[in-house]
Amino acid sequence: MSQVNHPVMPGDQAVQVATQPKMQKPAVRREPDRWLYLPALAYMIVLTQIPFVLAFWFSLHAWNLLVPSEGFPFVGLSNYITVFFQDPNFWPIMGHTLELVVGAMVLAVIGGTILAVLLNRPLPGSNAVRALATVPFLVTPSVMALLWKNLFLSPSTGIFDWALHLVGLPAVAWFSSYPLESVTIIVAWEWTPFVMLVLLAGLQAIPDEVLEAAKVDGATALTTFWRVVVPLLRKPYEIALLFGTIFVFQTFGEIYLTTGGGPGIATNTLPYYTYRTALLSFQIGMAATLGVIGVIVAILAARGMLRLMTERS
Amino acid sequence: MQATYKQATHKQATHKWAQSLWTGLTYLLVFLLVFPVLWMVITGFKTESAAYSPTPTLIFQPTLDQFALALNSGFGAYLTNSAIASLVSTAIALLLGIPAAYSMVFQMSKKGSDDMLFFVLSTRFMPFAAILVPLYVIITRLNLLDNLFTLIIVYTAMNLPLMIWMARSYFMDLPKETLEAASIDGCTTLQKIVGIVVPMAAPGLVAAALLCIIFAWNDFFFAVSFTYTNSPTLPIMVAVFSSNESLFLAKVSALATLIVIVPVALGIYAQKYLVRGLTGGAIK
Repeated sequence: MSQVNHPVMPGDQAVQVATQPKMQKPAVRREPDRWLYLPALAYMIVLTQIPFVLAFWFSLHAWNLLVPSEGFPFVGLSNYITVFFQDPNFWPIMGHTLELVVGAMVLAVIGGTILAVLLNRPLPGSNAVRALATVPFLVTPSVMALLWKNLFLSPSTGIFDWALHLVGLPAVAWFSSYPLESVTIIVAWEWTPFVMLVLLAGLQAIPDEVLEAAKVDGATALTTFWRVVVPLLRKPYEIALLFGTIFVFQTFGEIYLTTGGGPGIATNTLPYYTYRTALLSFQIGMAATLGVIGVIVAILAARGMLRLMTERS
Repeated sequence: MQATYKQATHKQATHKWAQSLWTGLTYLLVFLLVFPVLWMVITGFKTESAAYSPTPTLIFQPTLDQFALALNSGFGAYLTNSAIASLVSTAIALLLGIPAAYSMVFQMSKKGSDDMLFFVLSTRFMPFAAILVPLYVIITRLNLLDNLFTLIIVYTAMNLPLMIWMARSYFMDLPKETLEAASIDGCTTLQKIVGIVVPMAAPGLVAAALLCIIFAWNDFFFAVSFTYTNSPTLPIMVAVFSSNESLFLAKVSALATLIVIVPVALGIYAQKYLVRGLTGGAIK
């Protein structure tokens, strides 16, 4: 076999090494203390990777803390079969998870786009206004959700319902009639400023000449926005979606403090259901199974998003 | 001549008019967006009966009673737990994250650095619920349930990836020549990190630390899973407070106002760095 068939290593000195086989080390000065990343790496492995491996191990066992006599028998994939085919709650809960993530992200992207475009204009007091618009993203989510439930979306004391009443509409029992939608609204409210900030940064990176050129070519404001601005904002949109999706998927306190997952299982999402199975019904084996499924879902989502993000660059 | 002049001023006037219309719309939308927080603050200054009035009242006798009540209901203990958990976990994240980011930017090959970044990202993207069960089992076995130490350890794990990807993004902007010169002058790695890299990247690192504090401060998931009576943090106090009282709107609003002051103040201070930090420099 000749050198032609050698795989070319990505990036660096492979070619050099191949042409000068006697040269031992490429001309890179060896830095001392190359172990510096190890403590952080070890910390993350111990706190997240090892627990994940344990979760997988637990998921192959039947383990109920409330029935200690059962012990810890190995059951293979039977927990997975139970979850996928026998648990009547699982698929509806996956549906709720999807509804929450998609609903909140769609609303946040629409709201974030409108705000970013408006805040990108020259505006008296723009710094203060931008800072104010960031606030919903900074406030403690669980605490704010509790207040949303009682101060805004409550049919008796909520200001939303008072406003509805003003225009002659009947009060809405938000959390009992539209529990998942109510949680979605709260989460969307929290994430709108994040989308806005990312898009605003993207808008400010667009050179003025590009917009000037569009204007000179006679494009209307709307055409310029759709044909010029939006394509240039592709990366900011992708990043806002990737981060938003991953964090919204983990929504927990907002559900815990408003609906507690109910009524019934109406606002259970996959992470919330995992928590309940573990710490309220103590079915450790089952909860571990749900956790592993959650990781797989998250990895698939992140992978898909990362592919979207890298395909063009 | 005059006609065109008139036309131009007319056009200019409509243009100006449209501009102020957009400006007004912007103010209105931002006001609506922040309104829930504003209304919470206002409600904190009301009496319970005013807070429960079916018609929202804007004119009322403001009172500090609810704030006093919140502060006298064990606020100090919760505050101490929240402060220690966020500050200590952030300090450890800085201590572990800065050397790791230094190594990624100045020592590793491109591929090694990218692999490490991928590992860091996937660590932060993993749903916490997935590792809840094993962590709970380990923590129970080690007798560390309901212990502030546990929260610190867990928050460090939650924030370390963020710290690393933020620090990495800022270190990448530093001039490599300065560090090379320092190496030639015989500086040790520690001297380079403490004397050159950290001071030069200070604003970014401060922003990273503030973001870590905000995330730890705002956490509800780990706090509710791992703490009960010995080490609950402020978000837990809100949950307890609202379930123990029959009329709680004004009290909880006052308490919530006290709690959110910290993340709002830190976040606005670090505003310039928020986007860049969270997205690891993908958006600058």
